Amino acid sequence: MKTALPVTALFFCIFCAVTCQIPPVPPEVDKAKAQENDLWRAGAPIYAPAEYARYVESLRAAREKLIRQKARLRWFRDYEEVRADYIVILSQGDTLSKKVQEEKRSQSQDFSQRLIRFETRMGKIKALTQMMNEHAPVRENLARAEVVARDAQTLIRDEKYNELAPKLDLMDRHIRQAEEALFSILARYADDAQVARWRKLAEDTISESRRRGTTAVLVNKLARTLTLFKNGKEIAVYEIGLGKYGLSDKLFAGDEATPEGRYRIVKKNAHSRYHKALLLDYPNEYDRRRFALAKKKGSIPARAAIGGLIEIHGGGNDSLTNGCVGVENSVMDRIFPQVAVGTVVTIVGSLESVNKLLAGLRVAGS
Amino acid sequence: MKKFSQFLVLGLFVVALFSSCAKQPTEAIDAAKAAIEAATKEGASVYAADDLKKLNDDLQAAMDEVNTQGKKFFKKFGTAKEMLVKVQADADALKATIPGKIEAAKNAALQAQTEAKAAIDEAKALLEKAPMGKGTKADIMAMKADLGGLETSFAEIQTAIDGADYFGASATAATIKEKAMVISDQVKAAIEKVTGKR
Repeated sequence: MKTALPVTALFFCIFCAVTCQIPPVPPEVDKAKAQENDLWRAGAPIYAPAEYARYVESLRAAREKLIRQKARLRWFRDYEEVRADYIVILSQGDTLSKKVQEEKRSQSQDFSQRLIRFETRMGKIKALTQMMNEHAPVRENLARAEVVARDAQTLIRDEKYNELAPKLDLMDRHIRQAEEALFSILARYADDAQVARWRKLAEDTISESRRRGTTAVLVNKLARTLTLFKNGKEIAVYEIGLGKYGLSDKLFAGDEATPEGRYRIVKKNAHSRYHKALLLDYPNEYDRRRFALAKKKGSIPARAAIGGLIEIHGGGNDSLTNGCVGVENSVMDRIFPQVAVGTVVTIVGSLESVNKLLAGLRVAGS
Repeated sequence: MKKFSQFLVLGLFVVALFSSCAKQPTEAIDAAKAAIEAATKEGASVYAADDLKKLNDDLQAAMDEVNTQGKKFFKKFGTAKEMLVKVQADADALKATIPGKIEAAKNAALQAQTEAKAAIDEAKALLEKAPMGKGTKADIMAMKADLGGLETSFAEIQTAIDGADYFGASATAATIKEKAMVISDQVKAAIEKVTGKR
């Protein structure tokens, strides 16, 4: 009888141990683990660092509770509170996931729009390079910007927004360098006083043609046009081609620039190597004075010659000349009989300031 | 009473034996953490980010097990130790794979660099022999300028390789190659345009 009680107690304990159900770890625990992994892969530490840190902290606290429960004897384990915590965490994770997606969408839109703005800027600059032959420094920088733009597109596609900012900064730098090169080439064309002088020169030529009833030729370098006037009236406009540095004012032999000023046709060559040619009286008195001054100042090579043989000739308007004005052969055939030795040929940079155009670029870039 | 006392002492001894003899596997913990740290230093965060994350998760699970056992009256760190040993082994294995991955990324970058160079050279050669005639001269000049920009950008590939940014180098090289090939195609088209007119 003495041993009956402990034996009964022992059997009771064994019965309890065998039959008592061990409460299972709530399924929310594994769900939260998977969720944390998904959030990490989605980039939560990058796109919502503060929220992610709070989420991880909640997860850590819940795990502590879970550990405490697991450490208890199986009969005393109660996961209800743990489960409730994990349910809250799962909800917190869902919110965080939405926040991450939203942030990524927002960054994608933001970066895509910035990229589009840059590409628009690049397109405008590129379009302006069509107006000139001395575009090498501009286009080189644009090409560099295009390489970075493609890298940026790839990063947007791969949702690596955190790597995009430096790329876009680099792209901006290349575009600005292209703009600076462009502004430097077009600086004279944005100078209102210079444009006014060109305009005056053109008006004088047209007035003289009207007054004397003569033919006159007006070459606009930036617009790339040759306009024929008779009695002060415009009778034809043709496209032209210029030299490699055609937008610059010719100063000496070999600078591949096209002179600006008032000239006259001094010779008509019907059998030129460029189909037909009209030789101009470059250098005129003004050109000689300017050349002498430049030499005195040392702004041109000491051995430089002033050059000459500036013509309006055929051969095509898309070929690069050495400073002459090139037109299509068919155009030359039409011009040739209309002009005579002594006909005035006025060459101007532009009749319109490019300020508006360049300001447009700066607005697009701002 | 004497017997009861003897049983009590024996019981306390057994309890003390079970509860105190099982020590936290601190060596295994340190070894696992050090192994992960070594893998990270080797470049796992760049070249095997997912694997590294899994390792850290496994370490966390092992630490949870250590903590659970640490709070128990009867501590059994066997499972935790096994988990930690596995983490260490996995980390060592991951670390061993990193140089290979870096080498592969580097080789891919060098290959992409070579291909970009070949594409630039081809475009350059085509531009040299391109007919600078009517209808093409200005285009050829523009393409030469564009190619000049690509050549300048090409130098950035080496900078990226030197900085161990092999993925960045590969991406830039691929872009340069593609753009140089576009120029080659345009030159070929220009040549065809001229020869077609003849």
